Amino acid sequence: MTDDLFTPTVRERPVSGKRPWRPESIFYAAFFGGPLTAGLLGVINGRRLGVPAPRVLLTALAGLAGFGAWIVSAATLVDANNAVRLVGSITGALAWLVVIAFQRAPFRAYTYGDGEPAKLFLPGLLTALGLGFFQAATILVVAR
Amino acid sequence: MSGENGGPMSGEPVFARARALLGANRPEQALTELAMLPASDAISAQAHHLRCVALAGLERWPEAADAARLGLGAGGPDPDLLRLLGRAEQELGHPQAAERALLDGLALAPNDADLLCAYARLCIADNQMDKASRLVERAAAQDPHAPTVYASRIQLAYAKGDDREAQRIAREFVATYPENPAAHALLGSTSAVRGQVGDAYSGLRQAAAAAPGEQVYAESAMDARIASHPLLLPIRPVLRFGPLKTWIAALVVIYGLRALGLGALSLLAGGLWLVFCVYSWVVPPLVRRWVRRNWHG
Repeated sequence: MTDDLFTPTVRERPVSGKRPWRPESIFYAAFFGGPLTAGLLGVINGRRLGVPAPRVLLTALAGLAGFGAWIVSAATLVDANNAVRLVGSITGALAWLVVIAFQRAPFRAYTYGDGEPAKLFLPGLLTALGLGFFQAATILVVAR
Repeated sequence: MSGENGGPMSGEPVFARARALLGANRPEQALTELAMLPASDAISAQAHHLRCVALAGLERWPEAADAARLGLGAGGPDPDLLRLLGRAEQELGHPQAAERALLDGLALAPNDADLLCAYARLCIADNQMDKASRLVERAAAQDPHAPTVYASRIQLAYAKGDDREAQRIAREFVATYPENPAAHALLGSTSAVRGQVGDAYSGLRQAAAAAPGEQVYAESAMDARIASHPLLLPIRPVLRFGPLKTWIAALVVIYGLRALGLGALSLLAGGLWLVFCVYSWVVPPLVRRWVRRNWHG
């Protein structure tokens, strides 16, 4: 029972680490910027929080899978641009669910340690705009 | 109060008064009292210990760590001093030094609930939830109703993302210790996390009233007061249910109306939703600034 309970296991905090974003905030960027935005911001934030590599990889895969699903549904939904946009938000939110599942606990641990998160507003907006255009253009070329 | 009638004070009454002041949560005065000690008593392990408790209460962590080290040097290893040293090192951002101190303490007193909980908190901050759980379980097996055990269980549940469980334990804590300000503060902050604005304010206000010296309680009570401001009434659902559920609800309404062929109503709902988003983004910082100015002024 006592196994590693009384042996040192605490790691030294990386000194040059960048401050993470609040993972809850990534939802808004994901909603407007689609699944790739959720995936990219999720991967960057996961690395800042020191999330184990397999989980970071899964976050990236969730973003790509969401984008795949978006393309497929855009090809099937014949002519409803509004619906295609909505699917982008839904797949973005689904990819964010993966982000929040992996990052809520490490983020709370981080706030116990030193506190303040970084501001997501500008990087979130730029990523959502950039990847939003990229995804829309891809869908236009591939699926419409 | 002491020392006016000339000769050096003897140590014991000073220690007793310092202990009483610390018990009454008045660390500043305890330090003043300890400064009256004659030289021979001032360098004793007991003096360093009491000074360390007072400095930790004032969150003067560098000095608290020094006092703990001096106390350990004067009196030899002591579980409680090692716990204080661990806490101070953790606050100073030296997690490994903190771990060394806490493990040294646990080597002397492996079943000390305070030490086990202090080490659990260090593990939480290092994102080792599993080890933290086992440490808290061990502490709970020793002393299930110790305040520190309640507080650690709440912190652990919160850190794992289980807000409902955290609030449930906080309710238990308040029921067991209705006079304990930390219990009210934890119930208030776990309610705040769940978006229960009224409970949050009442818990934190009680904590701040019961422990007027605690700056943290006053600050949190203030934040809860801001959140319960009438102008922020419209954004309570977002706090209560989180962004995902609120957005789903809004989209169901907007697209549902459209699917029912009520294009105009759908447009209206979309417009209102847009206004709401702008409102929830612009108004809270303004209310915060306004309430704060009135609070201080």
